[in-house]
Order: sequence, then C-alpha cells, then structure tokens
Amino acid sequence: MAASIPAKTTLPVLANILLETTDKGIKLSGTDLDIAVSTEVMADVETAGAVTVPAKKLSEIARELPPAPVKIAAVGEQRVTLDCGRSRFKLLGLPRDEFPTFPSVRFNESWRIRSGDLQQLISHTSFAVSSEESRPILNGVLWELRPDKMRMVATNGHRLAKMEMPINSANAPASDLIVPPKALEQVRRLFPAEEELEIARGDNHIGFRSPFTAVFTRLIEGPYPNYEQVIPKDNDRVAIADKLALASALKRMSVIASDQTHRIRLSFNSGMLKFSVQTPDLGEAQDELPIRYTGDQLDIGFNASYLLEILRYIPTDEVRLTFKAPERAATVEPEGWKDPASYMCLVMPLRLVD
Amino acid sequence: MPVILILPSSVADQIAAGEVVERPSSVVKELVENAMDAGATVIEISLEDGGRRLIRVSDDGTGINSEEVPRALARHGTSKITKASDLVGVSTFGFRGEALPAIASVSQFEIQSAAADGEGTSTRVLGGQISPAERIARRRGTTVTVSQLFYNMPARLKFLRSARSEWRSAVESLTALALTKPGVRIHLSHDGKNALTLPPVSSIRSRLGAIWGGRYAEDLLDVDDVAGPIHTSGLVQRPADVGTSTRRGFLSINGRAVRDAGIGRAVEAAYRSTIVAGVRPSFFINVTVPADAVDVNVHPSKAEVRFRDRWNVERAVETAVRRSLGTLDSAASLGFRGSSFIFRPDTIPPNPDSEILRPPIDHDSPLFAGGTSAAEIDGAEYATAVSTADVSAPAQPIPPLFQLRHTYIAFEHEDGLVLIDQHSAHERVLYEQFMHTLESGAAPAQRLLLPLTLHLGPAEGEAFDSNREYLERLGFEVEGFGGHTLIVNTVPMPHPRFDAERCLRETLDSLTGDRVAGAAAKHERLAATVACKAAIKAGEELSQAEMRSLFAALRDTTLPAHDVHGRSTIVHLTWDEVERRFGRR
Repeated sequence: MAASIPAKTTLPVLANILLETTDKGIKLSGTDLDIAVSTEVMADVETAGAVTVPAKKLSEIARELPPAPVKIAAVGEQRVTLDCGRSRFKLLGLPRDEFPTFPSVRFNESWRIRSGDLQQLISHTSFAVSSEESRPILNGVLWELRPDKMRMVATNGHRLAKMEMPINSANAPASDLIVPPKALEQVRRLFPAEEELEIARGDNHIGFRSPFTAVFTRLIEGPYPNYEQVIPKDNDRVAIADKLALASALKRMSVIASDQTHRIRLSFNSGMLKFSVQTPDLGEAQDELPIRYTGDQLDIGFNASYLLEILRYIPTDEVRLTFKAPERAATVEPEGWKDPASYMCLVMPLRLVD
Repeated sequence: MPVILILPSSVADQIAAGEVVERPSSVVKELVENAMDAGATVIEISLEDGGRRLIRVSDDGTGINSEEVPRALARHGTSKITKASDLVGVSTFGFRGEALPAIASVSQFEIQSAAADGEGTSTRVLGGQISPAERIARRRGTTVTVSQLFYNMPARLKFLRSARSEWRSAVESLTALALTKPGVRIHLSHDGKNALTLPPVSSIRSRLGAIWGGRYAEDLLDVDDVAGPIHTSGLVQRPADVGTSTRRGFLSINGRAVRDAGIGRAVEAAYRSTIVAGVRPSFFINVTVPADAVDVNVHPSKAEVRFRDRWNVERAVETAVRRSLGTLDSAASLGFRGSSFIFRPDTIPPNPDSEILRPPIDHDSPLFAGGTSAAEIDGAEYATAVSTADVSAPAQPIPPLFQLRHTYIAFEHEDGLVLIDQHSAHERVLYEQFMHTLESGAAPAQRLLLPLTLHLGPAEGEAFDSNREYLERLGFEVEGFGGHTLIVNTVPMPHPRFDAERCLRETLDSLTGDRVAGAAAKHERLAATVACKAAIKAGEELSQAEMRSLFAALRDTTLPAHDVHGRSTIVHLTWDEVERRFGRR
C-alpha cells in the first residue's frame, strides 16, 4: 500500500491515505494517479465516515504500536485521533473530497486467474521492459488474454522475454493490454499466491481484485509492435548447456568485458563452447564449457549482462540456446521443463568487429 | 655623367632605416633592446607626443667607452657578434649593428654614455651628420634621445599616425619586451606624466600582474612542459575566460619576443573542443629551443624567426598547453586558487565498486551478486596517451560524491569544494570515447530486435548521407529505404540510459547544413554532437555507482575540466573563499 504513495507530489492529498468505513470494516486507499491500491480490514464500525491521514506517519505509527486493538476516531474531517492501549495520537488530515476518485472499472466481464500464475508470468517477463522514454510502448508489458491461455511479452528492443500459460476464463473477451511494470509489481506483491483474482478492463484502466484488496492502473496505449514477426522460426543450430556453469563462465568473462557494451564472444564448436573477450587497454580472457552442440562452428557476440539476466529467470538446470547466424536473433529457453507454462527469451547479438 | 652611381652612405642609411625604423614604437623597441643587451637593471623611457616629438631611453647598463661611440654610430658597428659564425645561436636582442645609425640618420639624435660613473661623452647626430663628442659627467649607462623623428623624411612623417595611436603602439612594443625580462625595472612616462612603472619581479605572472592587474594574472594557467630539447613555459587563459577580455598573444623564442602565426595556431589547437569556435585564447608563452634550431636573422626588426624543425616545435607547444588545460586547475574557479593540484593520478586505482554508468543492481539477484567489474579502466588509453608524466601521485581513491539538484556532483577536495556538471562531464567522456572509436575503427554495436524506422526531412537526409560512414563506425548500422526513410539495425550502447533513436534524430538535426570539410573536422563535429545528445542530461538522478563511474571516467579523459562546447565541467570553490564568506578570515 505504502509503495503506491508517491514520494514527491504536487498534489498534497496524494501523500495521504484515505480511510473509509464499509459494512465489513475500514477500507484504506492510496494512489499516485497512475496506480491506485485499496485494501479492506475487518473492524467494528461505530459511526460511518471517511478521513485522509498522512500515509508515511500512519505506517510509522502502525509499526510502533503495541499488539492491541486500535480505535480511530475523527472530529470533523481533519482531526483524527488514534488510540491503542495507552498510546494516543492526534493527526491532522485533509478533507476526503480532495482525494481523487478511483477509476471506474466494472467487474461484470472479468477474467479469473490464480494469483500465483500471474506472479510467475510477471516475474519472468517484466524485467525485460525498456526504460527509454522515446518508445513508451516498450515501457510496458504486453499481456495477451485469451479464453484458454494468457501470455506476457516484454522487450527493450535488444532482448525479449515471453511466457505463456493455459487458463480457463471462458466468459471474458479476448484482450491485449499494455501494463506498466510498476503496477504489475504491486499486483505480484499484494496478492497471496493461492488467491483467485478477478481482472477487468475499463476504458484506459485495468483492475485486479480479491475479496479484500484491489489494484487499479492506467494502461499504456498500443499497439504493441508485432513481436511474433521477430521471433525466429528457423533457428537450426541448437546448443544445450548447464545453466549454472554457463552463468559462471559468463560472469568470469564479464570481469574483462567492456563496461559499456559488456561484449563477449561465444564460439560454438562441436561439443564445446569457447568464450573469449578482449578489451583494449584492459586485457583479455578465455574460457571453455562442454555443451551439447553438433552444428558447424558459429561465432557470435553478445552483451553478457543480457545473457546473465535471462539465465536468472530460466527455471530449469539446463538451458537450450538456438541460433541461425551471427547477426540473427538467438533464443534462450528452459530445457526439459515440466510445466504447463512455456517460456522463451530472445536476445539480439552484438556486432563483432574484426 | 655615369648613369649608375654609388649612393652616399647617408642616403643608404636612410633607406636601411626604412626597414628598422618604421614608427616611434620601433625606435623604442630598438633602444630598449640595446639597454637590455647592455645588462641594464633599470630602464627609463620618456615619450613626448606619442614619440613623435621625443623619445628618450636611459639605462644603467655597461655604457660605451668615449672613443667607441663613433663606431657604435657607424653602420654595422656592434659589440654583440664578431664573426659570421656568431650569428648561429646569437642570444642578444640585437647584433646587426644597424639600429643606431639608422635611427640617427632620420632624426635629431643624441647619445650620452659612460662606461663608469663620472667620465662620459655626449654625441649629437643630425640627420646622419655626427658632431664631435663632448665630455660630460654622468653615471654609468647610456641615454639616447631621439627628437623630431623623420624630420628629414617628409614621406615617412606623413605616414605617422596620431600621437595616441603611436603611443599605444610604443606601449605594446615595450610590454612585450618587459615580459621577456621581468627582472628589469621599467619606468615609462608620456609628456612628463608617469604612465607605467614595472618593478623588477621574478616571474612572468608577477610582471603580467603589474601590467594588467593581479586578478588577470591570477586567473591564468601555468604552462611548463619539456618535450625533447624544446621547453615550453608561460601562462595561458582558462578556457572559461576565453573571449571575456581583450585577446593578448605574446610569444617569445629563447627570450626574444616574436610573432609567429604557426605557434599561435598551435596554442589555439590545444584549446580545441574546450572553447567555442571563433574566440581566441590569450597566451604568454616562451619557447626555449637549442640556439642552433632557430634562425632569428630573418628580418631587420627580428620580429620573425625560422625554425629548423617547425612541426616539432608547434607540436610541443600544443601538447604543453593541452596538458596544462588537462589539470583540474584549469577548471573555472570561484574565488582565489590555492596551490595547483593534479586531478588525474598516473595510475588509475582499481576500484571494485565502480561501474561505468551501469544501473543499480538488484541486490536480491543471485547471479549478479558479485557483478562488479574492473573494466572501468576502459579509458586508460587516453590517460596514458597524454600522461601527466612528471608527478607520480599516489593512487587517488574516489571521494564520497553527492548529487545536487540531479544536475551536479559535489565532492570534497583538500583544496575546497568541487562541483561537476554531470551532463558536461559525461559529454566530455563520451566525446573522447567516440573520437577514439572514429579513429580506431568500428565500435561494437547492439543489433535491434525491432529495427528503428526514421523518416527524415531532406536536410537531415543529406546530413545522414554525408556522415553515414562515421555513424556506422560509431555503431549506427543503417539501411536506406528509399527516399529519406532509414532503417536502423544496430545502435551503439554507450551507457544503459542511452536512447538511440532520440540521439540519432537530434544528431542529424544538428548536423544539417553543416559544411565541414576534412575527415578530422568531421570526426570532431560528429563526436561532439553525438556525445552531447548521448550524454546523461541535467535532471537525471544518478545512483552512487553511476556517479563514481562517471567520476572515474572523467578523471581518465585528457581534458576533464571542459566539455566540448567550451563550458566548464568542473567548478571549484576553495576553502579560502568558503572561509571568507563565513567570516572566518
């Protein structure tokens, strides 16, 4: 909740949390105008009402309070008292009218997805989004929802991550959404894995909700680039390597690789992968790793940090790499993954100069 | 009557005088040079009516024996050389034996001289006619009085400018001479009024201070560098100050003030990329070369010299100046400077924490846990290429850095508080990287999954065409797509925040209408433009690791204190200044 409160804002009320009474208890809401989060806690309501209080102070107070029931009362809209055991706080709030209203998302046509599935999808793809401002589309994660499956894709134009898994949500329409990764991160953190989420789309917003918690976020307007077209279909050279051994060889090479490009050279030979790196004014390094590879020799340059990053998310002990040519996209996939989901990453090589 | 006649010597002297004595300032120059050659410690100069009516130069030098005065006034009468071979490596200002007879032939001339206190002679010369010497009593030294210059040459007289302009020219000549010999007391008066008194000092900086004020002299940078037999010393302007005051160029070769366009250009070349085009730096440079490497006997007034190996001299001067611009001392300074310090140590400290502009690493990520890199020494080549050589400073650790207003990086230095402009600094770092790339071949480039498509206007298209090869070397591999649509397949990756599309667009936009000839100039222009567009901007928040790597990279550049537009990258607030403002001093 506190993470959705902006650190700096021109609108003072955004630094506050809205507390509202409901029939079940109290609902707490916070927003930075892009993302809105609310959660409900059980409480005995004596009098209905709503106030806003400074979010940071409220969370600091909550952390320090003894484990005893808390009583929140408000005189008018702006004087809030908080009693807990023998402790007593008085906070100055802001009128609730100043608090922005949440986007309206109707949950009548919603997808139902297990939170754990969504967490898996988010954590394996959203790392690949771009941070460049000139292509805002790539700053978001593409989320394709179909009645029987869903897929997330993220790319910064140099590497791409794609994960797909079956779902059963036949009553909702197919939809393509581009979601800011910050909102997905909130979704990943706030909902327990075993909960089933209801997800629905408004005009420019998407809402996620469980019985007590709801997250709303603005969507990035599309269309997303045609990524299917750039995923290689005819990569005919396949190498299978041990993930941890590959990662540690890459890390060794990174020590000598240029800090700007992290460029290393991979040379795939029958049964053996050779690594080499040369950085002017620094030095060079070589390494070798036995792999399963039977094609012709292939020399290809990569940004080692892209490969290492992808390897972090590969769920299996062995990794499968496919290539076509030194200037064509390479793919990285889990090898022998027994999971209903399918995962693929793609990385573009660096130009080798020599 | 024969048609061909030998001219009488008085006429020949007048003709020769035309080469040496052009205007009152040349008389001042010749007489003051003679005084300096005579070992004077005090020289007094009086002018009247800008020197048109009277020029008098008195010194306390060795003086001339009574019997030798007539010889001094004869053509080619000199005490400075005796045989032709002495011409090689002559160290006195004069040696031709022309000045005195030439001046005497076009003026009402009087020379009083004594080789020892007491006994002296006074000799008058009127338009070249020497009158008999009279005995006088005077102190050791010589006084030469030149009145009514060109009284017998109406043609020359007509070409004299106003008193004001002749005075200015005389002061200029005298200033140059005063700079070559800071140890001589010089006193100048005009129409009986005291105009300039220069006390004897030990350095050219103090002398400049006496002429143009202490503040002016304080703000200049020391140049001192030896390249083989060539020693370059003196003072140059800070790049930030260039263009803010009158431009002054002073050059002396082996202590002789000369004009030399080639060396002037070499000094300016050293400022390249630190100042805006069109402004010219002030400099006060003395170059010492072996006496036999330079010929000063090119012209009677000796204002020009010839070098046996001009190219080496120019290169030595350029390197010396560039080296002094490379010190932090050359950064714009607030208040008064303390002792100068060298920003860049000779050995770059291996710094395990520093990573070139890599974004902060998630510390919960297992694979990256040890993801540090020693590769920040990437720029080492630049450091060694222009090594600061002489001082082997101990490895400097990176001080704690703070970001202010998301624009400046501040750190504490033993001499004060230092601020770095993050954009300018990064621009300088990238500029040198790109220049290196352009000169050494191609840089690695990232292939794009989704090629960029750029639609250019005709002007941008033209800019692209003319720079295509160099852009490709920098990492922009581009296919034409008919008309002015470009498909960009690879892009350089100078830092993780790099926005390739925006950089390429803005670069082409600013290169439009550019008509730079020559590959080297094109390289510079392109490297500067791309560096400017690719560098992190003011207002971007940097992590500690990014600031540290920028600091390390900047330290390794050849000219860390200046960005490519001539602005300062570093501003230095001395403790003196801070303490003064707090009223502690």
